Amino acid sequence: MTFPIRIKGFTTDVLKWKPWLDVVNVDTATPAQLAALDEMSPQARSSPYFLVLAHQPEILLQRSIAFNAIMFAPGGMPRAERELGATVESRVNGCVYCASVHAQRFEQLAKRDDVISQVFEEPATAGTTPREKAIVEFSIRLGAEPGKVSPDDILALKAVGLGELEILDLIHSVALFAWANRLMLNLGEPVFPETAAS
Amino acid sequence: MTNLSVAPPAIDVVDDAVPLSPDQPTWALRRQRDKVVAATQSSHDAMFSHAVEGLSRTERLLVALHACRVSNATTLAARYRDGLAGENADAAVTDAVERGEIDSLADPRLRAMLSFTGRLIERPIEGDRAAIEALAAQGLSTPALVALSQLIAFLSYQVRVVAGLKALAGAEASA
Repeated sequence: MTFPIRIKGFTTDVLKWKPWLDVVNVDTATPAQLAALDEMSPQARSSPYFLVLAHQPEILLQRSIAFNAIMFAPGGMPRAERELGATVESRVNGCVYCASVHAQRFEQLAKRDDVISQVFEEPATAGTTPREKAIVEFSIRLGAEPGKVSPDDILALKAVGLGELEILDLIHSVALFAWANRLMLNLGEPVFPETAAS
Repeated sequence: MTNLSVAPPAIDVVDDAVPLSPDQPTWALRRQRDKVVAATQSSHDAMFSHAVEGLSRTERLLVALHACRVSNATTLAARYRDGLAGENADAAVTDAVERGEIDSLADPRLRAMLSFTGRLIERPIEGDRAAIEALAAQGLSTPALVALSQLIAFLSYQVRVVAGLKALAGAEASA
């Protein structure tokens, strides 16, 4: 076990999330709501976040399919790098909860956390290799200024060895967290371990 | 458009906005992630083609127009503007939203929804409980608030998928 990273308000501690809206009661949920939750993950029925989203089951169902296809599809960009793109987007948007979850997933997949400390400290200069720096830079650009992304940004990724399917996977991952961050930041708030214990 | 009972050809909104056609390498590349293509379009349909509890279709399209305008996503903005015309939405309201004159709108509920949209698109970190409660005070139910948040968040995704694919297609042309 490594110690959790805590830098500039971002952390790899395991956080909870508290909704600002009432959640769907699993015991009285409709078949469509349960199907949408189960499409997301086996744990979604006990997650306050997904139980809030279950108020709109068709929207949650389609989002769950998109989420799993983007983050878990075989081939293309290594899953650790998709998690890195997700973490960078979350860091740039200030989503402490998403950054924590996906930084932890990066660590589990990559067996290291050096680049996570860098991303939390200063995303603009983060990356332990030219490839990683290019992935981080592109993630920041697509996340913060999608209207300014250009073919030159794609060529910069190709120059450090990314294939086209890898680039597509990165685009999807960053875009997905533009979506996820805005839900997490606006429908509730992270709960830190210290707060939960008090 | 006529009201004949013939279904219009299925249009993939992302392909249409980039634009991508089947003879382009980037179109074929995108199909290597066919589940993402399908779920992206189905998410769009869930937002706009079906009834959504708590939000009218015109309200959803106005949110989309505003979100795309703020994001400088012109082709997507044009699609949602056309959608508003198809709904026979009040043209004066559509024009005001297109000019970004949110404060000039008479309907306080719409004004609150669009202000929330602009903030969530541009500065998601500023989301707070008070913003959600202000919308609830305008009569938005919990399902409506979830739908509105999902819609704005989805548009953030759609804008970035289109922007990324556009750059990919452009890089192929220059290769």
